[in-house]
Amino acid sequence: MVEKLEGAVGVIRFFLFLLLCVYSFTGWAQIDSLNQFKKKVLDAVEVDVLMSYYEQEGTHAAVTGGLGNEYLTDYSPSIVIRMPIKEDAVLTADVGLSAYTSASSSNGNPFNRTGASSGGEDNGNYPRGAQGGSPPQGSPWVASTGASRKDVLTTINIGYQKASEDRNRYWGVNLGGSVEYDYESFSSGVSFAQLWNEKNTELSLKGQVYLDRWKPIIPTELHEYEMFQETFLYNQQSYFRGVSIMDDQGNSVASYRPDLFESYTSVARNSFAFSIGLSQVLTPKLQGAIFADIIRQEGLLSNPLQRVYFEDRNDFYIGNFRTLGNYDSPDNTDLFHLADDVERLPSSRLKVPIGMRLNYYLNEYVVLRSYLRYYQDDWGVRSNTLQIELPIRFNLAWKLVPTYRYYDQTAATYFAPYNRHSSRNDFYTSDYDLAQFDSHQWGFSVSYRAIFRRINLFDFELKTAQLRAQKYNRSDGLSAFVVSIAFQFVLDQ
Amino acid sequence: MKRLSSGLLLVIFCVSCTVVKEYNKIAINDLDMQLSAFPCERFETNFQIYREAAAGANGGKTGGGCGCN
Repeated sequence: MVEKLEGAVGVIRFFLFLLLCVYSFTGWAQIDSLNQFKKKVLDAVEVDVLMSYYEQEGTHAAVTGGLGNEYLTDYSPSIVIRMPIKEDAVLTADVGLSAYTSASSSNGNPFNRTGASSGGEDNGNYPRGAQGGSPPQGSPWVASTGASRKDVLTTINIGYQKASEDRNRYWGVNLGGSVEYDYESFSSGVSFAQLWNEKNTELSLKGQVYLDRWKPIIPTELHEYEMFQETFLYNQQSYFRGVSIMDDQGNSVASYRPDLFESYTSVARNSFAFSIGLSQVLTPKLQGAIFADIIRQEGLLSNPLQRVYFEDRNDFYIGNFRTLGNYDSPDNTDLFHLADDVERLPSSRLKVPIGMRLNYYLNEYVVLRSYLRYYQDDWGVRSNTLQIELPIRFNLAWKLVPTYRYYDQTAATYFAPYNRHSSRNDFYTSDYDLAQFDSHQWGFSVSYRAIFRRINLFDFELKTAQLRAQKYNRSDGLSAFVVSIAFQFVLDQ
Repeated sequence: MKRLSSGLLLVIFCVSCTVVKEYNKIAINDLDMQLSAFPCERFETNFQIYREAAAGANGGKTGGGCGCN
């Protein structure tokens, strides 16, 4: 009897075990089933291919003290790849190039197109000794042939973002860096977003750190003075040995001494940015957001290549003195004003921009997008930005977006035009990017969404294509044009 | 500008209790209604950061790069 009882208990235990197993498997199956219905953060691998061409013209080149040729071209291809990691996360890789040629930057050594240095070398590689041949000539209006006339900026950024099960929380981290000839930058950041109120309200927080480092290139005349000090006009190794330097009367003199110039002891530039954003769905057709940043920059915030001229110091020139009357005109092709110093700016800057977006869905054909920003910093700059975009949909595939952007700013405390600074000041710049001006930008974009036909490239299917063209006019005379294209592909599964 | 900012803030907070249900978000979920810049705008944001003193509060870069060209 006891044995039968023990046998029955064994059978019950066996069935209980089986039941437990079945329940467990069923439970897992239910969870898997739920997972199958959970919407992925990203369904498939997406690839954005973007390219842009930028061209500008202006007459206030900062490298030559706020006067000179600002012609610049820039080609920027980039590619962005977004990969889903399981259901909840996305890994993003953003790689780009920016290849530019700049008349302004080329005039770090404005004498490269003539004389012994016409081989195209820049600072650190000047031919030493007598010039030989024709005397050096330069002009702020003529692009030099030095190495700094062109450069390539390479950038890479890797980001990872994970969402919560209910898609109400998002965490992200990113790492990035960029490198060009005279500058390196490393960045990292974290982000967090919380949605609530049935996803009608979102609060986002972001912290970003940039750790940058200059490899300073300084103007030729200051570079040689730094190397040879008082002997730089006759030292056998000096670039300026035997070169005639003239005062503002055209007399050949040996008294040019840019002794206000001091070598750089610190080349780091660090930026710390904290961003907060609050977005809200206001009605079924209206939503808006407010963004605020606090950006603190420290270190070498000036540009070592940008010359400054003082009105209370004597002027010295190299080249054809008869051109002096036309020095501030593009007709000047052979006279160059030697620098008194490079720009000097405080070692810290606090920027506080506050922006907002408000988008209104007028109807199935038209959406009104608006952006407004107020900015203030402790260098005395205050600015306003207003941007309006009006996406107009012709059908499900084609869309036209006219855009307009207005911008104004006050001048930084340390700004003055060419040859208007006082040498008694601690800080000075003639960079017109820090001057008072307003600007108008207008243009359009045309977008195509491939919904009526499949367009494939290898294993990827075209999702959207966009062409965008913008014209930019600044009240100080600078004008620019940028055209960009973007293709978005999705992995064909 | 400040009054406008304050006004918009007030409007947002006043209506923040409004709940638009998911099935009513057809317009809100339209791609053009996204509260961020279009992908192509990144190039414009880059040159604006160089050519203008102001930066930030637009989802673009807030640092990095010398801006020397």
